[in-house]
Amino acid sequence: MFRVAVIGCGGMGATHARCYGSIPSAEVVGVMDQSAEAAGRLAESLCCRPYTDADAMLDETAPDVVDVCVPTPWHADYVVAAAGRKPRGIVVEKPMGRTVDDCERMIAACREVGVPLFPAQVLRFFPEFAAARDQVLAGAVGEVACVRTRRGGPFPRAWNNWYGKLEWSGGIALDLIIHDFDWLRWTFGEVERVYAKALAAGMSPGADAVEVTKDYALVTLRFASGVIGHVEGTWADPGGFKVSFEIAGKEGLLEYSFNQPASPPYLAALENPDPTRAGVAVPESPTATNPYQLELEHFLGCLDRGVEPDVTPDDGLEAVRIALAANESAATGKPVVLRA
Amino acid sequence: MGLRIGIMSMAHMHAYSYAAAINQLDEAEFVGIADHDPARAQECASRFGTRAFGSYADLLAADLDAVVIGSENVRHRELCEMAAAARKHVLCEKPLATTAEDGQAMVAACRASGIQLMTAFPCRFSPAMARLKAAVDGGTAGSVVAIRGTNRGRCPFGWFVDKALSGGGAVIDHTVHVTDLMRWLTGKEVVEVYAETSNRMFGAEFEDIGFLTLGFDGGVFATLDSSWSRPKSFPTWGDVTMNVTCEKGVLSLDMFAQNLVAYSDRTGGVSWIPWGSNIDLLMLRAFVEAVSNGRPVPVTGEDGLRAVEVALAAYRSAEAGQPVSV
Repeated sequence: MFRVAVIGCGGMGATHARCYGSIPSAEVVGVMDQSAEAAGRLAESLCCRPYTDADAMLDETAPDVVDVCVPTPWHADYVVAAAGRKPRGIVVEKPMGRTVDDCERMIAACREVGVPLFPAQVLRFFPEFAAARDQVLAGAVGEVACVRTRRGGPFPRAWNNWYGKLEWSGGIALDLIIHDFDWLRWTFGEVERVYAKALAAGMSPGADAVEVTKDYALVTLRFASGVIGHVEGTWADPGGFKVSFEIAGKEGLLEYSFNQPASPPYLAALENPDPTRAGVAVPESPTATNPYQLELEHFLGCLDRGVEPDVTPDDGLEAVRIALAANESAATGKPVVLRA
Repeated sequence: MGLRIGIMSMAHMHAYSYAAAINQLDEAEFVGIADHDPARAQECASRFGTRAFGSYADLLAADLDAVVIGSENVRHRELCEMAAAARKHVLCEKPLATTAEDGQAMVAACRASGIQLMTAFPCRFSPAMARLKAAVDGGTAGSVVAIRGTNRGRCPFGWFVDKALSGGGAVIDHTVHVTDLMRWLTGKEVVEVYAETSNRMFGAEFEDIGFLTLGFDGGVFATLDSSWSRPKSFPTWGDVTMNVTCEKGVLSLDMFAQNLVAYSDRTGGVSWIPWGSNIDLLMLRAFVEAVSNGRPVPVTGEDGLRAVEVALAAYRSAEAGQPVSV
């Protein structure tokens, strides 16, 4: 049995905590948030103890696994503190860190004590993305020439508008489309060159002081293989959250879209309780196990067997590097070369 | 009697659609066709019920008001200058030219002769595009922030992949339409271009992948995928899309999304059968109306030239690995 402590009870902390609740080999022993109310609410639903102090939680519960889901700039401090207690493993929500230094600090602290660190790049556990990668590697479209991804929807409203503060979230490139950067790198190899335009990251001078209520980025990637990629990220689309991708190669094209198919696998179209107003249709694409649970089960399974997880700390760091290169390009107007 | 129109060269497949449009328009009269290839002129003349001329000079000497130029890209200038010298109005297939110098010469020749030069950008006449343009002009969504555009297609091969005739590959072929739409939509000029290109689809001399990033005067930014990245098995020729992020919402255009889906055991594949409005016909009608009434054509030679300059800048950027000014 893995006894898990969750640090951060916002959207992702709650998602991870509920997933552990569904995993037979895991048990949440404590949740911590600086807001007693947020911690209390999540703790009550999971029948565990709430904390507002991480040290107290780690001391009292001595967890096997620590899962860090606080806003990005505080990942490193909590991960380093958790590593000092030598748990069996640490999960850190994506993006792994706000800076390359943050990531390296976490990697060094965990390596020093031999604690496996798992950056939660969950997209690898989404079945449609995993299937697309399998297809590419099996040669379904032949040698790949280009790839395009699209992700986003409305602007996320959260604590202190932290997503909107470039200094905290790193903008949409670091917080949202890092999902795509990681999946692209996993599927198509290392990125050589990055060019980007972005709303928040493109604001100057003093870009770190930027605070926005919408963000948008268009990022072009050149991979070492010669594949050219394009990543669109939006926090400016009131039309709802949508994801799509296409991969074009010498012998074919692979397409995917979520929330845009003419016939979704499940659609609830309901009359409005107020008969003077139109009803609402909510499409869903359900799968047997949600990808967040698959991701956490994978990590716990690796800890059990003593093998390295499919997402390594270096993978987390490299995805951060690509996202920060996009921000740098947007700020300077120049392409950023990651490796010659 | 309608506007008397001839076609100079049927080398471009769009010329066939323009020929059919001329025949459909009551206000136009199809005088004839001349072509570098006399056999093609004969064949097309009989197909469209018009006359074949033995040379461009013979066509231009006929009783004629205007010409449509449908030649290979590099021949646009020569044919346009002939038409201008003969004082015939010109509707020229895109890209207007393959060099800025040629495009400037075409614009200057037509201006000097006092005839009108229109660039064939039929996408401007799409009813869906009209909705998008009206929404942006009406200001309900606020000002434009950024645009993600695509004009992806299957590779047309033939002379389109022979640089000596086409001036380039996918970038010169597919950059100009959506660049023109973006200029028209925003009322801004492209001032900076960055491009990543490759030839990974076909591994040949021409580029088949072109991912452009455009910076507009005033700060709007955009990307444009001009690749020949649709496989042979794709259900249609390609697409024209724009996802326009505005201050107060997103306006999305998928210009050719009005299709029946056909699953055929005869062809063994899936294909899309378009049923949307014929934008080539709408464009020809606009050309004919403007020229007939002595009003300015709705899309000018300068518009065509500006779009070509963006495509040429993309080649320079891809070469340099840096953004370049337009």
